[in-house]
Amino acid sequence: MARWALVSGLQGDLDLYEAIQRDLRQLGRVDTLFVLGDLIGPDRDANALLHRLQLPRRGELQPQCLYGWWEDQLLAELGYRGERRADPLRQRFGQAAVEALQQAVDPGRMAWLAALQFGFIELDCALLHGSSADVGDRLGPDSSPLLLLDRLTRMDVNRLFTARSGKQFSVELSGGGIASAVRDLAGERQLQQVVPQRKVIGIGSGLRYTLYDPGSDRIAFRTVGQQAGSRGRGFA
Amino acid sequence: MAHAVISCLHANLAALEAVLADIDQLGIATITCLGDLVGYGPQPNEVVTLVRERAIPCCQGCWDEDIIEGLNSCECSYPSQLAERRGHLAHQWTADQLSETNKAFLASLPMTLRRDRLLFVHGSPNSQHEYLLPDMDAFAALERVHTADADTLFCGHTHRPYVRELRDGVIRVRVQTVSDQSAAIEREMPLSVRRIINAGSVGEPRHGNTHATYVVHDEATGSVEIRAVPYDLERTCRAIVEAGLPPVFAWRLRHGFEYAERADDASHVCER
Repeated sequence: MARWALVSGLQGDLDLYEAIQRDLRQLGRVDTLFVLGDLIGPDRDANALLHRLQLPRRGELQPQCLYGWWEDQLLAELGYRGERRADPLRQRFGQAAVEALQQAVDPGRMAWLAALQFGFIELDCALLHGSSADVGDRLGPDSSPLLLLDRLTRMDVNRLFTARSGKQFSVELSGGGIASAVRDLAGERQLQQVVPQRKVIGIGSGLRYTLYDPGSDRIAFRTVGQQAGSRGRGFA
Repeated sequence: MAHAVISCLHANLAALEAVLADIDQLGIATITCLGDLVGYGPQPNEVVTLVRERAIPCCQGCWDEDIIEGLNSCECSYPSQLAERRGHLAHQWTADQLSETNKAFLASLPMTLRRDRLLFVHGSPNSQHEYLLPDMDAFAALERVHTADADTLFCGHTHRPYVRELRDGVIRVRVQTVSDQSAAIEREMPLSVRRIINAGSVGEPRHGNTHATYVVHDEATGSVEIRAVPYDLERTCRAIVEAGLPPVFAWRLRHGFEYAERADDASHVCER
């Protein structure tokens, strides 16, 4: 079975995207490219990249894109999210960043951004920018295991790929359990539950991306420019 | 000290009066209400007014919110289109009946109430629309209490009273990062004991019986009693029919029908 490439945090950088496409061509055996959000950012004009994502060149993998935190903020600011405005962006980076983000994307591209999905479910995997709770949810290697398990349970998946933290990591739920007693008007019963064998995978951001083989469950963390013969750090 | 928790009154005055009489007879002075004062039932003004007169602290339920903010949810939680139409009809009727003063009261209600390590919500800490059912995934249930930084979570919304204690929990993980060149790191998270106490429903019980339900919790001993109180349901049923509300609302009260209007997908959270 061919592999997936999972990318995020391009933030309007077409050169970076082309470098990733070259890397994937050299590697071969990658048949699906997922871009898990943050296609745009406040630091550069994103129109050329957005154009390329919509109309790939011959020989390039057709990207499957989601919206990320930056897209969500822009859509909120422009009223695509009901009455919400981009308050988190404004509070964190200030008004200048809000204006820069608006200038980074031509109005004609907003309909395409607004049509992007929150997440993909492929096989038993959820591909998300943040988590099943929120696009801005930062899951990392130090996140509470209870929180990670909750995010997996909400989507009823065995693998959750996340990009928001920008980190490359794998947290495998490897064991444990919980007991509970329920009492209602009919009586009392005991319930026992074990921790399911599931994983949360951080795919990285920008130059750092992740390869995943759904057939073998093998994960490889890569950095663009890594030696061609190297497959990156893999965890089965 | 014992305190009583009531929920989902649903404009059923006879049921509320019976429950309050039961609480008074137990000598309990502290009452907390978990919302849904209105909806389905025929006496929205009378119920809200009585709650205000008794100065019962309340959090806002999904029906209370919808009456104030307009019906923009939660049609996806109805089990059928017929149930949805009936719900919309009840919503419109209630919105027309409620006085401005009582609407303002519902609008003023907070999403949550907190007393020390006790948290009071309508559905869950995440949403007024989320159902915490007694048999839901134990880790997900625990996460709701843990993330809200509480030891005991009081909720309603399901109309089925229960007490669930979650204990002896542990989660082990194997963490691998790129920066860490060594082998995977093993971590273990012990989970403290947490409780979820669902108060059931005063005005629209769905536990398979016609009695109104609520809970009495003793903070000192930790004991919880689920109370089931008979009330003059014929009075409420007659009022439902006389008000022109769907007769099925009276029928299911009279039969204690367990499944009526219950959402098929209890884990579903409305994304508005």
